Amino acid sequence: MTISIRTETREELTPLERVVLALQYKKPDRVPAAPLVCGASCRVLGYSYDRWSQDPKVAVASLLAAQDLIEFDGFLTLVDLSVEAEDFGQEVLFPERSTAAPNFDNPFIKTADDYIKVKPVDPRKSRRMSTVIEIVRGLVEARGDRVPTMGFVYGPLGVLSQIRGHAELFKDIIRHPDRVLEAVHTINNVLIEYAKAQIEAGAHAIVLDPLYSSASILKKSTWVKFEAEIFKSVADAIRDAGVPVIVHNCGGGVYFDAVLEHISPIAISHAYPAHGSASWKHHADAWAKKVVSIGVADPAKLGHEFSQAQVLEDCREQIETFGIAEGGFILSSGCEFPPNGNLLSARTMVQAARLYGRY
Amino acid sequence: MSADEQKRLYEQLATAVFELDEQLTKLLSQEVLDRGYDAWQAVERGLLEGVNRAGRLFDEEEYFVPELLIAADAMYAGLAILRPHIKTHHSGFNRRVVIGVVQGDTHDIGKNLVRIMLEVAGFEVHDLGRDVPPQKFVETAIAVKADLIALSTLMTTTMERMGEVVSILEAEKVRNRFKVIVGGSPLSQQFSDRIGADGYAPKAAQAVELAKRLVGLSNAA
Repeated sequence: MTISIRTETREELTPLERVVLALQYKKPDRVPAAPLVCGASCRVLGYSYDRWSQDPKVAVASLLAAQDLIEFDGFLTLVDLSVEAEDFGQEVLFPERSTAAPNFDNPFIKTADDYIKVKPVDPRKSRRMSTVIEIVRGLVEARGDRVPTMGFVYGPLGVLSQIRGHAELFKDIIRHPDRVLEAVHTINNVLIEYAKAQIEAGAHAIVLDPLYSSASILKKSTWVKFEAEIFKSVADAIRDAGVPVIVHNCGGGVYFDAVLEHISPIAISHAYPAHGSASWKHHADAWAKKVVSIGVADPAKLGHEFSQAQVLEDCREQIETFGIAEGGFILSSGCEFPPNGNLLSARTMVQAARLYGRY
Repeated sequence: MSADEQKRLYEQLATAVFELDEQLTKLLSQEVLDRGYDAWQAVERGLLEGVNRAGRLFDEEEYFVPELLIAADAMYAGLAILRPHIKTHHSGFNRRVVIGVVQGDTHDIGKNLVRIMLEVAGFEVHDLGRDVPPQKFVETAIAVKADLIALSTLMTTTMERMGEVVSILEAEKVRNRFKVIVGGSPLSQQFSDRIGADGYAPKAAQAVELAKRLVGLSNAA
C-alpha cells in the first residue's frame, strides 16, 4: 500500500486558534493534532538527551525545529518526571540517549523518618524547575502568537514518589500517612509557585499530572486524600491567573469523575479509557461531552510499531470515535511521544488530522 | 498436636498476611515452629494463601498496589522465619524464572508484582533487580538452568533492550532452552512478536498464567 502525504502549507487557523476553539467545544477548521513530541525533539537538531534536558536554549531550539518539521499544534514543556524531584534534593541520572530519572539506589528519602527533610525551594531559582520556566519563556517568545505552549507540573504525590521510590511511598501511605501528607503539602506549596512562574513566562495553559489518579495504582479515596484535595490549590491558582488547567494522566483506568470533581480541568490527556469504561466507544459516550479528550494513540505503537498507513488508520479511528465530542477533541499521543520513536509517525498523525479531521 | 489447632494457626497466618499485619505474621510464624508444626504447610496454607487472597482483592479493585506490596512484605517476613525449617521442596512445580527490569530503566513495581505472584505460584524466582544488562539475563539463566526469562520495562526508550536479550540467546545458540516473556506499560503483543519473545502479558496475574502455560507446554528440563 502506498500512501501519498501532502503538506498543506496554508491552513485557515493558526495552531493557537485551533486549540483554543477545541478546548471550548467549538469546531475549528480541523481536529488539532499534538503528538506530545518533547524529548524526541532533541534528535531533530542532533543534540544528546542529557543536554536537551538541562539547557533551555537547546530545548527551545529543538522544540521549535520539531514544530517546523512535524507541524504539530502545541508545545508541551514536559522535560521528564525528575525535574521537581531534583530540586527537592534527589540525585538524578542523565543518560545520553534516554530520559533522565532519579537514582533509586540513592533516594533522598531513605526511611520514613526522612520525610521531614523535604523543605520548600524556590522554583524560579532552583536548577531544573527554572530550566523549564525558561523553556516556556523561549517558546512563547519565539512562537507564542501562533502556537500554544502548555506548561507542565507533576503532581505532589508523583514528585514524592521520585524522591522516596514508588514502592516505598505506596507502603508509607498506609504505614505513615501523616508524614506522607506533610511532605505532600510542602511540595504542593512549591508547585503553586512553579505553576505561577510558568504562567508569568507566558504559558497559555498548564498541564497538571496527577499520575496516581488511576485504578492501576491507588484506590480512588486514597488518591483523593493524599493528592487531589491538596493539588486542587495548584489548579485554583492557575485558574485565578486566568489560564486554563489541563490534566495529563497516562495511567490505566483514570478516575475521570474524581479528577473532574477535584481538579476541574477543561481537558484530560489520557492513554486509556476512563475507569469504568470497557472500550473507547463506552468512554466517548460517557465522557467526550463532559471534558475535552486529548489523546488517545498508544505511544509505543505510534512511535515504534505502526507503519505510516497504520498510523493514519489508527488516527482516523480515534477521530471517528471522538466525533461525538462535536469539536472537543485534540488528536494526540496518550503519553509523551517515544523519545527514540519514528518522528515520521508524529508527522503522519498531523497529516491524519488534516485528512480525516476536517469539520 | 491437634489437627484443628494446626489448621487454625495456618488460617490465622493467612489472615495476618491478608490484613497486612507484618508483626503478627512474624509472631505466628514463630509459633508454628515453637509448636513443631510443618513449616512448608504454614507457608502454603498460611503465607501464600494470605497473599492469594490479597491478589484476588487486587483483581476485584478492593486492594490496590499499596495493599499488595504490604501483604507481600508480611509474607516475606514470615518466610524468613519459616524457610530455614522447610525440610524438602514441596511445591511439586520446580520451575525456575530469571526476572528483571532491563538496562536503562529503574521502574520495578510491575516486575516486583510479577515476582511475588510467580513465587506464590510455586516458581523459583531469581530476581536480578532493575537496570539489568541484556548479557546478565542470559548468563544467569544459563547458570541457574532457568526455564523462563521474564523481562520488564516501563519506558519506550528501553524496550529494545528486550530484543537484545533474545538476540544474545540466539547468538549463543541457547534460545531453545528458555522461554522469554515480556511485560510493561508500553509493550504489546505486536512488539513481543517482533523481537521474537514467546509471550506478552499486559497484567501481572496474566504474566503468571502465561509463564505456567509456557513452561508446561515447553516440557523444558
